[in-house]
Amino acid sequence: MLGALQSIHVPMRKFKELEEVDYIIVGVGSAGGVLLQRLSRAGFNVVGLEAGPFWDTEHDWVSDEAGSHELYWEEPRVTGGSDPLALGANNCGKGVGGGSVHWAAFTPRLHPSDFEIYTRDGVGTDWPISYADIQPYYEQLELEMPVAGPAYYPWGHPHGYPYGPHPMGGAGNALVRGCSALNIPVSIGGPVAILSGSHGDRPHCIYRGFCIQGCKVGAKASTLITHVPDALNSGAEIRDHSMAARVSLGKNGRVNGVHYFDKNGNAHFQRAKAAIISGYAIETPRLLLNSACPGFENGLANSSGTVGRYLMAQAGTVVLGRFDQLVRVYKAPPAHALTEEFYETNPKNDFARGFAIQTVGPLPIAFGKQMVAAKKVWGWGLRREMMNYNHWASFGLLGEILPWPENRVTLDEEKDRFGLPIAHVTFNLHDNDHKLIKAATAKTIEVMQAAGADEIAHEARYAHLVGGARMGSDPRASVVDKFGRSHDIPNLFVCDGSIMPTQGSANPGLTIQSLAARTADYLISQADRVFTSSDRDMTSPPIRRNLAPPGTWGKGVPRLT
Amino acid sequence: MTPEVPDTALLPIDPDSGEPIMPRLQPGYYSGFSTLSQKPFWDDATRKVVLERVEKKEPIRFFKPAQARFWTTVFDHLIPQTDRIPERRIPILPALDKRLFLGRTVGYRFENMPHDCDVYLIGMDAIDQEAQQHFGGGFLSLPHLRQELVLKAIHDGEPKGAASIWKRMSVHRFWQQIMQDAIDAYYAHPWAWDEIGFGGPAYPRAYMRLERGEPEPWEVAEQRYAWAAPSHAASGESETTHEFYTESLQHRSHSKGI
Amino acid sequence: METTPQTGLSLEHPIHDLEIVRNHIREGRFQRSLSLLTAFASLMSGIEVSYEHYRGSYGRRVMYTPVILSAVLFFAGIGGFFSKRIARTILRFVSVVTLVDSLIGFYFHVRGIKRKPGGWRLPMVNMIMGPPVFAPLLFGTSAYLGLIASYLRREDKTPSLPRRSPNVPGKSLSRTAERDLLSSEQDIREGRFQRQMAIATGISALMSGFEAFYSHYKNNFKYKAQWTPVILAPMLAAASFASVKNRKAAITVLPAISVLACADAAAGFYYHARGVLRRPGGHKHIFYNILYGPPIFAPLLFGAAGALGILASLLGRRRR
Repeated sequence: MLGALQSIHVPMRKFKELEEVDYIIVGVGSAGGVLLQRLSRAGFNVVGLEAGPFWDTEHDWVSDEAGSHELYWEEPRVTGGSDPLALGANNCGKGVGGGSVHWAAFTPRLHPSDFEIYTRDGVGTDWPISYADIQPYYEQLELEMPVAGPAYYPWGHPHGYPYGPHPMGGAGNALVRGCSALNIPVSIGGPVAILSGSHGDRPHCIYRGFCIQGCKVGAKASTLITHVPDALNSGAEIRDHSMAARVSLGKNGRVNGVHYFDKNGNAHFQRAKAAIISGYAIETPRLLLNSACPGFENGLANSSGTVGRYLMAQAGTVVLGRFDQLVRVYKAPPAHALTEEFYETNPKNDFARGFAIQTVGPLPIAFGKQMVAAKKVWGWGLRREMMNYNHWASFGLLGEILPWPENRVTLDEEKDRFGLPIAHVTFNLHDNDHKLIKAATAKTIEVMQAAGADEIAHEARYAHLVGGARMGSDPRASVVDKFGRSHDIPNLFVCDGSIMPTQGSANPGLTIQSLAARTADYLISQADRVFTSSDRDMTSPPIRRNLAPPGTWGKGVPRLT
Repeated sequence: MTPEVPDTALLPIDPDSGEPIMPRLQPGYYSGFSTLSQKPFWDDATRKVVLERVEKKEPIRFFKPAQARFWTTVFDHLIPQTDRIPERRIPILPALDKRLFLGRTVGYRFENMPHDCDVYLIGMDAIDQEAQQHFGGGFLSLPHLRQELVLKAIHDGEPKGAASIWKRMSVHRFWQQIMQDAIDAYYAHPWAWDEIGFGGPAYPRAYMRLERGEPEPWEVAEQRYAWAAPSHAASGESETTHEFYTESLQHRSHSKGI
Repeated sequence: METTPQTGLSLEHPIHDLEIVRNHIREGRFQRSLSLLTAFASLMSGIEVSYEHYRGSYGRRVMYTPVILSAVLFFAGIGGFFSKRIARTILRFVSVVTLVDSLIGFYFHVRGIKRKPGGWRLPMVNMIMGPPVFAPLLFGTSAYLGLIASYLRREDKTPSLPRRSPNVPGKSLSRTAERDLLSSEQDIREGRFQRQMAIATGISALMSGFEAFYSHYKNNFKYKAQWTPVILAPMLAAASFASVKNRKAAITVLPAISVLACADAAAGFYYHARGVLRRPGGHKHIFYNILYGPPIFAPLLFGAAGALGILASLLGRRRR
């Protein structure tokens, strides 16, 4: 079962052990799910390797905070630097659907400015593509998920959404009150990849607030329910509980398959004509580094030395406000309102770029941990604060931390249960980041005050995780080109959040899935040349809307794109 | 079995009368609220997991008996439950023990922290040394308030002893971890949900009253009462400051004034 | 005395005008007014269904049909005001199609509630948070008005002879059925359909009363005034059904309670509009607040039931 009504009936195709497939995709998450669907629908033989389980949502998922830890990546990693990132449940998914299973499903687009912040503000780097290149894919994925939101979203490139906005919960109403009092425009009811009306076999949201624990209803989009069913119907195979160990490079300088471990720890090798790594910002660089071999001693496809570098998380400080009237923040999806009014660089600021302010909806355990950080409570102080749980509303800001080369993923000496060196993540904030976070926190507190809070506390933290195998036009400063093809190896691709050169203040999920669809269109238009030739055709492919999953069409409202 | 006679110095106090508040079935402002009573409205998978949490007595396999006693006492300070009658206290150690026994972690280890399985053993040493430093006795030998003051020193990030231990384990990250483990166990339990008025599992039946904090028909209106921390407690304070913007500074003590 | 040629009303003597209107209704001479009323009701329903289905995001293409049909019915009603032929043909046809559409909508709403997690095992939650169960049938009220209007006589003085052939093309009926149909049509044309309209009033009152009940349950009857439509609706229904048997009830209790219902609807409309403006952001987010505030057209639907009741009380009854 995938949600309350949806199920997969077709038995999955299984390729034989020695059969060479066209594409092997490592990681069936947000990007991997889309790639699997597009490529298999286009007629390729595709296998997806996923380290986690292939979920049966009715049986495997529980409507319980503590019982949902299996959705997150809990294999060991080390985190350090002057500003170490918390990983695991904070930003790393596991299982088919990956991050799109546990995301809160905010799906704003990047702004046109995000693609050229170096040109505009002299910080970070420019992307090798522009907003215009990705725009058709934003529109397309907003239909496929689909995304619910207001009819007119004013920031970045203004546009509307195919599904209507959601009702508000306590946190959303506080954000709306605060923003309205300060005359800050606010987006009410989205954009979120959560159904506000039913969509085929997917019922609409029932406002239970357990988004981050996986949507049992099927209202929140995850590639598990939006793309994987069509992938299987088109003949793709997903091997779950399959941990990729190394990507194998043949004598001709081309990738020829992936070594992986199955559920019982047995080693296998899947031959493929081309490989796409979609393991996300930590596992993708880790795999490439672990695939070091003669010719690529520093890691596969790492002649530039940038594999693992330019890792980015967004500042994700949570500002909590206590209200006299009850809030009951646990009802309603955590994600339901936001403002990007402060997204762009404001010349009056002493920092470049900006931030967004969103709603969040901590459940009790998350809230307790936030209170420990925000108010230094323990013992009776914690018990008291928790008894007031229903009086607190919460906003989360997203601040654009810039890409820095020393923020990176490297290999640790410690090994995991498969004998593979684990990832060591190093993260440090720089001057612009500090100033931005300070200003963003102050502004969010101001909004919470304007909303009428009697007491305000905040917990500094980070959100999301991208970078580590960034795209660029210069092979000396990037890992992949603008279509996700590695500069070093013609049939090795990377397509997930790790290829993003900058992150903006937008949740990355929509961008990741859109980039995946674009890469898929490129691969499809290149056809067999990917498998045989070393030529790199850089013409942009046409967008293939007919490759969308079949249930996409005939639903939703006309809108501004 | 003789009923436990509550030590009134450990009970919360009614600020108006100054009298201790006797332990009750369910502290908190939602008297009469029971998430477990709603279990017919949960789905099977969820019901199974939550009921197991309530009913099953997990054996202690990772901690040795002395360690188990030690940490149970520490958790009694981190999340005190003297306001609950003994039959309605939420066990904290078993969930932690299970996690450590299975080798399950949150998926990341800070550079300046040892592995999870070592944290609790090393930490035990550190707390004992702290107790010696402050009061000249092992932690378990101290009276309740002194135990609390020992822990408070670690909470404040200003331990007087065990310098060599704190060199290889960050005092702040250690405190963060033991608090998180305590919270993971306590607030995962339906009795804690009842205490704070959280709705509990919500599938297939979810919510219809999303705004203005309105209760569902099966939820309960808030009935607040005033209470103060017990006289023999040092954990009743909180500090709200907005002087910190980054996580690496925040998790250290506010009172340090960094 | 100045009279407008079509309706015979003079605007200078309101009491006399009221009497004329009353006679017109009693004689079934109010096709033009009812066409206009149909158009107005259709406009209100159309606006409501447009934004309510927008909340449901038009997840199925069929959700556009009431939007389109209410617009067509609006124009048909306007047309019926101006032209007898349009009233008898286009207005009738569009009304029937719209009534069929409202039945289809009812089916989809019931199905939609069933398909929510928990389905009908969680009746209150799923009716409140799912598609409003009786809304499509209440939407059909304007079509019902349009259908009635298509059979009436017009307000002008020219007598119209009853048509000879029954309005059911192509079907062969028994002589008694034919006669019955002819007679029903004539009854409507001559304003003698009080009982039928009383039944319609009763059903409409029950449905909008039920809608008010579960919708007000959503905020737990926080304001005591929210009980009024829930109490008045069954009273209106009782009075309506009593009027089917009892002519006295039809001219005493029924109009009295109907007027109360209309007054209550006006009050409800005021409270709902106030509730919309009191939402976070108020008028700054007016479209969103209309979408998710108290439904501003819902009290008017209850008022429509009241209006039907008043109309019913003014009508004649069948001779049999």
